[in-house]
Amino acid sequence: MAASIRDAAELLPSQGPITAFVFLNTLQALEGLPFAEGMKKGGRLFGCQVYLPEDRYREKLARGRILREDLDAELEEDLQHRGADVIAGLVTRKALWMAMLEFPLRFGPTEELQWFVAESDALQRLRSEMPDPLRQPFLNETRQWAMRDLRMKTSESGIHRHDVILQHNLFGDLLTRFGADNIEQWSDATWETFSLHALWRVCRHGAHIRDEHPTAAPLPVRHRDWMLRTTGEDTDHLVHEVLIRFCSSFADQGFARWSLPERNAGVFRSFTQLYGRANGVPHARMRGLAEELHRIERAALTPLESVLESLELLGVSADEWPEFIPATLLALRGWAGLLWQMEVRADRVPVPAPPGTLIEFLAVRLILERIALQSAAACHAIPVEPLSELRQVLAKKLHSPPPASIAQRAFLVFQLAQVLGWNAPRLFKLTKNEWHDLIFEIEAFSGHERRRLYHEAFERRFRVNSLDAIAVHAQRPAVRVKSPRYQIVTCIDTREESFRRHLEEVAPSVETFGAPGFYGVPIYYRGAADAHFTTLCPIVVMPKHWVTEEVALTMEDEHRRRAQTRKALGAASREVHVRSRTIAGGALLTATFGVLASVPLVARVLFPRLTSQFRRILGKFVEPPPVTRLCLERSEDPPGPENGHVGFRVHEMADMGERLLRDIGLTNGFARIVTFLGHGSYCLNNPHKSAYDCGACSGGAGGPNARALAAMLNDSRVRNILYQRGIEIPSSTAFLGGMHNTCTDVVTFFDLDLLPSSHRADYEFITRTLAEACERNAHERCRRFQSAPLNLSFAAAHRHVEGRSQDLAQTRPEFGNATNALCFVGRRATLRGLYLDRRAFDQSYDPHSDDSEYTILGRILSAVVPVCSGINLQYYFSYVDSPGFGAGTKLPHNVVSLLGVMNGPSSDLRPGLPWQGVEIHEPMRLLLIIESTPHAMRTIMARNPTVARILRNEWMQLAMLHPDTKEILIYRNDEFTPYTPITMELPQADSSTDWYRGWRDHLGFAQIRAASSSASDR
Amino acid sequence: MMDGYREIMEWLGLIVVGGPLLLIPVLGIPALFSYHLSERFISRAGQSVVVAGLLASFAILAIMLTSHSHQVPIDIGNWVQIPHYHLFLKIEFDRLSVPFVILSFVLCGTIGAFAARYMHREPGFNRFHLLYSLFLAGMIITSTAGTIETLFTGWEMVGLSSALLVAFYHERPAPVRNGLWVWSVYRISDAALLLASVVLHHASGEGNFDKFLGAASWPEGHTILTEQQAFSVGILILIAAIGKSALVPLSGWLPRAMEGPTPSSAVFYGALSVHLGAFLLLRISPLLEQSRWLCVIVVIVGLTTAAFGAITARVQTDIKCALSFASVTQVGIIVAEIGLGFRYIALVHILGHGCLRTLQFVRAPTLLLDYHNIENAIGARLGPNDAGHPRGLSEGWRTWLYRFALERGHLDDILIDFVVRPFLRVFEICDGWERRWTDWLSAGDSRQSEHARRTTTAPDDFL
Repeated sequence: MAASIRDAAELLPSQGPITAFVFLNTLQALEGLPFAEGMKKGGRLFGCQVYLPEDRYREKLARGRILREDLDAELEEDLQHRGADVIAGLVTRKALWMAMLEFPLRFGPTEELQWFVAESDALQRLRSEMPDPLRQPFLNETRQWAMRDLRMKTSESGIHRHDVILQHNLFGDLLTRFGADNIEQWSDATWETFSLHALWRVCRHGAHIRDEHPTAAPLPVRHRDWMLRTTGEDTDHLVHEVLIRFCSSFADQGFARWSLPERNAGVFRSFTQLYGRANGVPHARMRGLAEELHRIERAALTPLESVLESLELLGVSADEWPEFIPATLLALRGWAGLLWQMEVRADRVPVPAPPGTLIEFLAVRLILERIALQSAAACHAIPVEPLSELRQVLAKKLHSPPPASIAQRAFLVFQLAQVLGWNAPRLFKLTKNEWHDLIFEIEAFSGHERRRLYHEAFERRFRVNSLDAIAVHAQRPAVRVKSPRYQIVTCIDTREESFRRHLEEVAPSVETFGAPGFYGVPIYYRGAADAHFTTLCPIVVMPKHWVTEEVALTMEDEHRRRAQTRKALGAASREVHVRSRTIAGGALLTATFGVLASVPLVARVLFPRLTSQFRRILGKFVEPPPVTRLCLERSEDPPGPENGHVGFRVHEMADMGERLLRDIGLTNGFARIVTFLGHGSYCLNNPHKSAYDCGACSGGAGGPNARALAAMLNDSRVRNILYQRGIEIPSSTAFLGGMHNTCTDVVTFFDLDLLPSSHRADYEFITRTLAEACERNAHERCRRFQSAPLNLSFAAAHRHVEGRSQDLAQTRPEFGNATNALCFVGRRATLRGLYLDRRAFDQSYDPHSDDSEYTILGRILSAVVPVCSGINLQYYFSYVDSPGFGAGTKLPHNVVSLLGVMNGPSSDLRPGLPWQGVEIHEPMRLLLIIESTPHAMRTIMARNPTVARILRNEWMQLAMLHPDTKEILIYRNDEFTPYTPITMELPQADSSTDWYRGWRDHLGFAQIRAASSSASDR
Repeated sequence: MMDGYREIMEWLGLIVVGGPLLLIPVLGIPALFSYHLSERFISRAGQSVVVAGLLASFAILAIMLTSHSHQVPIDIGNWVQIPHYHLFLKIEFDRLSVPFVILSFVLCGTIGAFAARYMHREPGFNRFHLLYSLFLAGMIITSTAGTIETLFTGWEMVGLSSALLVAFYHERPAPVRNGLWVWSVYRISDAALLLASVVLHHASGEGNFDKFLGAASWPEGHTILTEQQAFSVGILILIAAIGKSALVPLSGWLPRAMEGPTPSSAVFYGALSVHLGAFLLLRISPLLEQSRWLCVIVVIVGLTTAAFGAITARVQTDIKCALSFASVTQVGIIVAEIGLGFRYIALVHILGHGCLRTLQFVRAPTLLLDYHNIENAIGARLGPNDAGHPRGLSEGWRTWLYRFALERGHLDDILIDFVVRPFLRVFEICDGWERRWTDWLSAGDSRQSEHARRTTTAPDDFL
């Protein structure tokens, strides 16, 4: 039992506290299945959409984002030899499927279709989508048939007697209705109407077929669904009302002033305590709850026993568990998932949940469900004794509708007949079996399948475009920048793609690299002004080291003074926060100073940028002094958060430094300054802020990691060890850690006071070029913001993004990793100068420096594959079904328990990304392109089951680019097949700005001349 | 006052009241013809109305201060006039309405500017701003109303727009359900106000405040009603205020109103709408003076509400509900202040509370960052503060009190069990009678439509 609950728990959203947003595949539990199957199962389990609506794909078809040839190729691949089968003597299967893809099929309840046929011009005008060449033959043949066969009462041409009678019965009155006497004078319009009437009748006649194996919709498993279907009453409403309130109190991290009584005793016990005693208030809808809890308490049932008892009382047999338990948990999946995370990742929340919380939650939930079912049944006069037979009782009341009615089937054929040019006489000749085949063939190609095919065609188009662009671009020799002015390492994040590109355009003598933004330094970090440690590394890693920031000794007094001021201010603001909600404090505050609140209110809403500048100036007086150091070296073992245990040993530093330098292939040709840039995002009024921070730092800002790595590599002892290991760092090289704010596009550096004065000029060059790159990057980002005019100057664009970050009313401070679609692992030189539209993760890797076991690539992929596919699929699902998988629109969001958001005053917790953050995304699986060989991939996949699972089941697409021959291979169905580029042309532009300006939508690839390493610095 | 002043005042009054009223058709009529107004136009239109109105009301204030006139009535005319009854439309600027008008303009204007960016690209952008203009007009009319009928007009506009804003996300069931709840409670309060106006006309033949509350300017008027009449009218008005200001026992709607987008929760339920009941009590305060018992009841209602709100707010785990119960607490105190006769204190309290609460609501999504910053400054976790638990209570009572607070005083459950259900039951019984009657008439089943099968939706994946 406990095991099947744990299995079900894997399906729950794995979102922990929202302050450390973690990107994971929403359907991670199904990654063991091939993509298409996983999607089908996931869609069913969660009751959510897994692909876009068909119309959205058709829009893309109309706008050239999907081509007919893509659909054709996908059909070919999907159907193979089955595509040529002829259905009912009318059409090949492939042509039928193609028509169903290409032309929208309307469908609806029988009543609606009948209304549509009767009231619209469906029987007067041929569908406008009907191809022109089919129109005339369609009408002419019907006309001939009507003139020749229909008017004759008796058979003269030897048609079978039975057919004649049928024909007469079907169409006899039609001619009369249209005026058989003057049939020769009928206008074209009359003939069109007549043909459609005849066609509709034939279709309705033909649709009378018998289902040998009617595939009824699967029956619901939960009692609530039965109840909802038969009576229209949703018992979950009642259950959730109590459960949400209770769960939020249980999960609360200290927002409420009173905590839940007996919280530490666990969900089950505190619930029975709280609701188990009669409190003198009748609550008709929950009658019996107190007695039931009292009984359970007296019987001293454990939570697990209570679950078993409830299941028995509900009549759920053990073989139903694998279906019933997930369905029950998923009914309130946000809260259940949060409790589960609080239980299994207790390290991530200040107030964790004890082990077994999820089981206790299920026990409480089932008790509430029983009470709610009883109360709902009583309302609708349904016998509830015993409860275990409720589903059978309800089943008798439920008339499950037939899979499809005659009108529904007829209407489908009617629509298809028009676009494929089947007219009434042709369809009239079909035999019963042929009708049968035709209808089942149409029904077999369901909406889900059509959307799947469309989706794959969409991915194919993008894949073809990307691989073509890369094939062309890779023809240029991949050479590193000769004696670079400086080198810069950024996160692999898609947001840094444009940043790097602009930097390379501004200063072609700069060499850039990409690596996951925690830079191989997984730490718990506490800044000088921080109260606690935050985890700065990917969610899959548990850090072993602690790092703190300390203020330089000379500033110690100043630091202490300012910390005290901060503390006093903090205490005061806490008092205002809390007291303003109490009775006396609130009265005092509002009646005296309340009106003054209008000043910050008006200022912050109407003049956000000015106000924030003012606040920053004030903040200068209390923030920690500017000169600080990281406490990096440990004097005592083992590592820990206490004094002396903080930091690393020298050899550990050397290991980390070596590993990162080897990963990105920077083992020689060091410039005078090498900078590492962490990144984070600063924005206001945004509970989802951490979703914009560094994904490789579990939703933290990666500045400290970059700073730590730079400090380590500046250490001469570390350099000595590296020298022995074959990496010679010239003494003239200085490392510098920095931080890129992706929202305001500002770069700041740490430990500048340690930079040798000999490097002053180099540093000035860095700040100048970075400032310009930042402005241009902001400019490129602005093209996606509807509220930013397209004709902004660079500087104005930079001001615009700054304004966004400081605006309380701004729901889109930035777009994060939205539009991500590519991931490149290889040398920067291969892709440098290619416009990738902020869609690509870019990890540096030099295939020539790897060993025969592909150790480096292996460890790169072990982080890049899960992290990037997690980000990509989180965006995917949050986009395709925003209210279902995502967090929906953020406008009604309400922060609850300091852990998450819900809609309005009471709803399920909303994990996933809000709509405003994914709005511009295009959902597709990430295309991973690796500069290496299939052999390397096979070796790594054999070694790393996670990477193998994701790639083999195609939750991520994979292509290999050969480092030397530049041949491209695509990995599908566990095979590498060569890819032949379709075009060898690639547009060129002088600069990125030249290519993207004036355009809001997605952009294609282009070669940017200014970024090539041979161009000269501006 | 001199005639020149008079004319200027009339123009200014027209700007204050007419602007928001004009905004409704400007935004509403194009929508009726499916004409899509641009976001920029909508927000510009709203802003110009607010700025004009705000400047005009400041001008009125200045004129009133310089000319030492405490009451400036502007007659619009009779809507209905028959013997023994007239429905007079009149607006009035005095020491109560001018601060309220200024508050409404400042808060609505700020939130309008906020919403113009916050609601950017939202499909219901126009609908939101239309309802917002309806709300603004309602607020201004209620504040400046010189007769109880005029006040009722504004009152209705506020109610309608509020309920529709709660149900703004009408594609989800919860907002619609809660919107309906708010609407039902508002109807109760509307009915009470309407009855009050009828009783008033019956008793004094007047709906004009300057007649039945005395000619002296607010708050110095003396009512012409007898104590008996003042009590009965006062009680009805108190019921109206209870509904609108979420006082006990009708407090349950306020947290439910948090379904809408953040700006509407902020300004409408946190700051303005919720004070309307208190405003109404202030307006009729001469009646309170006439009847001591009325005052006692008002104080009791106010204090109960404050206590209820304070207890309930302590267990709320989400920021919007916590703020809304905090609002309930303060509104309770304000009502008690009115009952005790502290008119000016109550007025200042309303203004201060409105501003502070709006700021807090607008910043609600920033809660996590705020907590993070405060924790860093203090250097410790802001864990559950059990010091807030009442001392000297036994374990059992503490649990009882916690449950009481968690279930929001069971107020909604009690309403459902003792008001809603019996109410529905009556109609069900009548329905049963009717069915029997029609079955008998049609000699058989008279309601075949009830047997129509619910159409099964979601055929999408089937085909």
